[in-house]
Amino acid sequence: MLNYIIRRLLYMLVTLVFVAIISFMLLDLTPGSYLDTEIARLRQAGGNMSDGQIEALKIRYGVNDPFPLKFGKWIVGVLQGDFGQSFEFSVPVSSLIWGRLAFSLILATSSIIFAWLISIPLGVYSATHRYTIPDYIITVLQFVGVAIPEFLIALVLMVVSASVFHADVGGLFSPAYVDAAWSGAKFVDFLKHVWIPIIVIGASSTAWLTRVMRANLLDVLNAQYVQTARAKGLGEGLVIWKHAVRNALHPLIMAAGGILPALISGEVIASIVLNLPTTGPLFINALIKKDTYLAVAFLLLLSVMLVVGNLLADLALAWVDPRIRLE
Amino acid sequence: MATPNLAKPIGARPVAAKAAQADTSQISQGRLMVRRFMQSKLSVFGGIALVIMYLLALFAPFFGPYDVNEIDTNYQWSGPSTLTFAGGWPGICGVTQTLDQKNFAWVYTKDCSQSNPIQLFVHGSSYSVLGLFNSDLHLFGVGKPAKIYIWGADSQGRDIFGRVLMGARVSLSVGLVGVGFSTVLGSILGTASGYFGGIIDNLMQRVIELISSIPTLPLYATIAATLPHDISVTQRFFLITVVLSLVTWTGLARQVRGKVLSYRGADYTSAARLAGASHTRVIMNHMLPNAVSHIIVVAALAVPGAILGETALSFLGLGMLPPAVSWGVLLRDAQQVQVVTTYPWLMIPGAAVIAAVLCFNLLGDGLRDAVDPYG
Amino acid sequence: MTALETDVRRRDGAANANDNLIEVKDLHVHFHTTLGVVRALNGVSFNIPRGRVLGIVGESGCGKSITGLSIMQLVARPGKIEGGEVLFKESGEQPVDILKLGRHSDAMHHIRGNSIGMIFQEPMTSLNPLFTVGKQIEEAVLLHQTQNHEEARRRAIDILDKVGMPNPQRIADSYPHQLSGGMRQRAMIAMALSCTPTLLIADEPTTALDVTTEAQILELMRDLQKEIGTSIMFITHNMGVVAQMCDEVAVMYLGKVVERATVDDIFYDPKHPYTISLLRSIPRLGGERHGRLDAIKGSVPDPYSTVTGCPFHPRCPSFMPGLCDTLVPAETRIESENLHTVRCHLHPGSTILGKFGSSGGVATTAPETMTGFAAPSNASEPMVIPGSGGGTVNNSAEPNLTSGDVDDGAAPRVNRTS
Repeated sequence: MLNYIIRRLLYMLVTLVFVAIISFMLLDLTPGSYLDTEIARLRQAGGNMSDGQIEALKIRYGVNDPFPLKFGKWIVGVLQGDFGQSFEFSVPVSSLIWGRLAFSLILATSSIIFAWLISIPLGVYSATHRYTIPDYIITVLQFVGVAIPEFLIALVLMVVSASVFHADVGGLFSPAYVDAAWSGAKFVDFLKHVWIPIIVIGASSTAWLTRVMRANLLDVLNAQYVQTARAKGLGEGLVIWKHAVRNALHPLIMAAGGILPALISGEVIASIVLNLPTTGPLFINALIKKDTYLAVAFLLLLSVMLVVGNLLADLALAWVDPRIRLE
Repeated sequence: MATPNLAKPIGARPVAAKAAQADTSQISQGRLMVRRFMQSKLSVFGGIALVIMYLLALFAPFFGPYDVNEIDTNYQWSGPSTLTFAGGWPGICGVTQTLDQKNFAWVYTKDCSQSNPIQLFVHGSSYSVLGLFNSDLHLFGVGKPAKIYIWGADSQGRDIFGRVLMGARVSLSVGLVGVGFSTVLGSILGTASGYFGGIIDNLMQRVIELISSIPTLPLYATIAATLPHDISVTQRFFLITVVLSLVTWTGLARQVRGKVLSYRGADYTSAARLAGASHTRVIMNHMLPNAVSHIIVVAALAVPGAILGETALSFLGLGMLPPAVSWGVLLRDAQQVQVVTTYPWLMIPGAAVIAAVLCFNLLGDGLRDAVDPYG
Repeated sequence: MTALETDVRRRDGAANANDNLIEVKDLHVHFHTTLGVVRALNGVSFNIPRGRVLGIVGESGCGKSITGLSIMQLVARPGKIEGGEVLFKESGEQPVDILKLGRHSDAMHHIRGNSIGMIFQEPMTSLNPLFTVGKQIEEAVLLHQTQNHEEARRRAIDILDKVGMPNPQRIADSYPHQLSGGMRQRAMIAMALSCTPTLLIADEPTTALDVTTEAQILELMRDLQKEIGTSIMFITHNMGVVAQMCDEVAVMYLGKVVERATVDDIFYDPKHPYTISLLRSIPRLGGERHGRLDAIKGSVPDPYSTVTGCPFHPRCPSFMPGLCDTLVPAETRIESENLHTVRCHLHPGSTILGKFGSSGGVATTAPETMTGFAAPSNASEPMVIPGSGGGTVNNSAEPNLTSGDVDDGAAPRVNRTS
């Protein structure tokens, strides 16, 4: 098992190096850099830049370095925690991202917990009460939940709470607490705000997991060992929760690895609508403005979140299933 | 297997003739799939609804009363028209525009005493039908100067109903074309990977792993951000579908690979190889026909992802850009909560997205169950 | 069915008449599917004497397994027990009709696992992969026998030892995937016997195992049965296994018991054409070297259809037009033998009509028909299993036969009957 984890970690590292190369190449090798946009903007505003000035800027930002050199410099920096300089904000990238990433991580984790807490009971109920009215309702909700884009849920929730409850639900804090230091009151305020993004981000995952849970459990309920458990004289509740559900969790955990990309994607897009201080708004903005180092840092760290999440899902799988654990 | 033998002796005896009626074993595989599919009412519904949606999109200018880019400052942010039967014939209420001086916003007051009767097959703006000939016929409309906005108007007085229909052209075809690309790519690479194994397979698996270790939307967004801005709508449409299929092919390739792997181990494949069939022949004659139904199912289930991807990208301003019309582009107008709260009909394109994705999911589910009832 | 209840005598003579552990009466189970109603059990009646092994035989789809599940009230949807009785008489207790107990009632839970144990066909899938074998056995013991975990563990290891597991401690801590098929089936048997049930339902427990393992498992079950005194309902389609395991046999066809007799009577003096056909389809040692093996022509009819009259008539070599396809034969006792009943118009008493005369008429035609059947040349083209010449068939039947004379005897006895 330890060997397995070490091997996985090595794989992860290699993968991430490739992710870094690809994302760096994507943003750096394509025409148009932040500098070009900036120069164009300055020229449009009437300012005139001499070629000398432009050249100086280019040298300062290392724009004309050959790609391998640029990448080499950058990756050495990354290993020391330096993700380079943001063009737009003229500050080190690392000073911009960690706080936002932390919130993203909190939101993604809470959403996945939320999705599990809701989807397992719903899926179990749906599977054990097949072809009843609640099952049909759950199935319909699940179909709609998968089909509805996160930003629409976010919009609908915000519009509803704005027009019905006259509450402004954007952000993670009330304006009074945004810049305040952490305190009990700020945390309470945070809890008051955080549930909306959690629902928004977790909704489609919940729907998807409910569906997976229902299908798996239906499969497992046909398994011989469930019949064995019944033949032993176990009550139906124990048969389902101890013998069936635990076996049905196996694909559910695998699915959890699968929904992570969707969850992170959902977080990125929902945070724009909900105006959250997470990675989303800054990342998309950096992409549009071609703020290379900032965008690459985000893409890389979101990928780290994803692969670490997948590793955790695999470990969880080994934890529940002896067939994997004892291999 | 023995049923054909049995059918005769049983049928020969009048009393037992009934026994042969419910016999399902003599129907071809394809017919059986169709029958299983038709049994799932929801999937059939999804399929029919999709056909209708595609027809509406194809003939969008006919079903929409106005040109989608027609700006009308008299109807900025005007709400959906109100139906009235005042004239004995369905019509819409008249609307007058006034400026609210305090909030500096247009206010529309309805006057239902005067009815503008809805007319069918009216002549209006000219458009091209499938690129074949021009027409100015529209399904419905009202007499000028009144205007009919069944789903309201946007910030520039453009008809949202017509724009949703037009947007369907892009949004619905992005799904199909994008998935089409990735199906071809995924099938070829998946087959190669599964059939030949070894280094090719290993390399493929690593590439797929690499692509799937980057969160989907950020990856879409990053690639889309590299697209040049100074290209035509058609070029951009094409490039966006390529972006979408760059990611979706991995899932398809995985599925096809799995199928091919299982076929490779099958006895009939070995038999074909032993009989001297070439690799191409084995793949083309023995594997693909078997895999094709599965490929269709996986493809159908991948379309919603592509539609949602385009919507998200355009919504973020990285996908289709105005003046192109797509559901995502239309939803960009709904990005501000304040605006949406005041003009909720701006969210109608979202309903279209949900409906299309829902129908594709229903259809794909039904197809999957029909093709592989036990899988 | 009343014939069954009367005068149950054991082969060895030490009979306690009417001492039945289980009496199944007129059991009906239907499956309501979208394509129609499948009548899986169509009035099944039989009994299991205390301490004996009853074999239930028949082709796939005749309702053997459903019968076993019905006794446990474990028939899953869309199956439904539509009617009948299952009287369960534990010694010193009032008989209970199991079917009157709620599926999920405490009383039913108490019977399952505690009074009636069950073994399934597929040892590979009948143990939960996520729990150790020991834990799964302990679960049953804790449920019915003791609250003490250490005691439960001791009993689990004890029973694992009893079913011949080497190093039972280690096995108890193993997960099912670490054991071979034979070992898993031993573990299943251990689990089923862990609470010393009075009845063990074994649903084709050896079908999925290879021949050597099958022989071991059968021997184990036989030994344990003698030691514990459990009654066994042994469901199988393998006549060889029946010969080895069972005291008595009930032959089922399309949801009905068509013949019920002691194992000797079934092999030496089968009455129902279906039983005879089943016996003729066993490859035998010392039989004709290159002779072809008989198979029953046709196959079990489509489950959604209803066959009028005798369910076997479309495939019966002794089919009597006008009678077999219209009238359901009643259960008749064969007078000359102990506990031998049959449902076939060939036997007087099975044809119950308003008029006495027609019944007699049938009886006279019977011998001729039987003659026609017994001569293989007359039998209408039996379906033949390809490549199943003589003793070459890899069928588990031969090596397991305890009494070699069974097979040698079967054919001549059939001839003698005709």
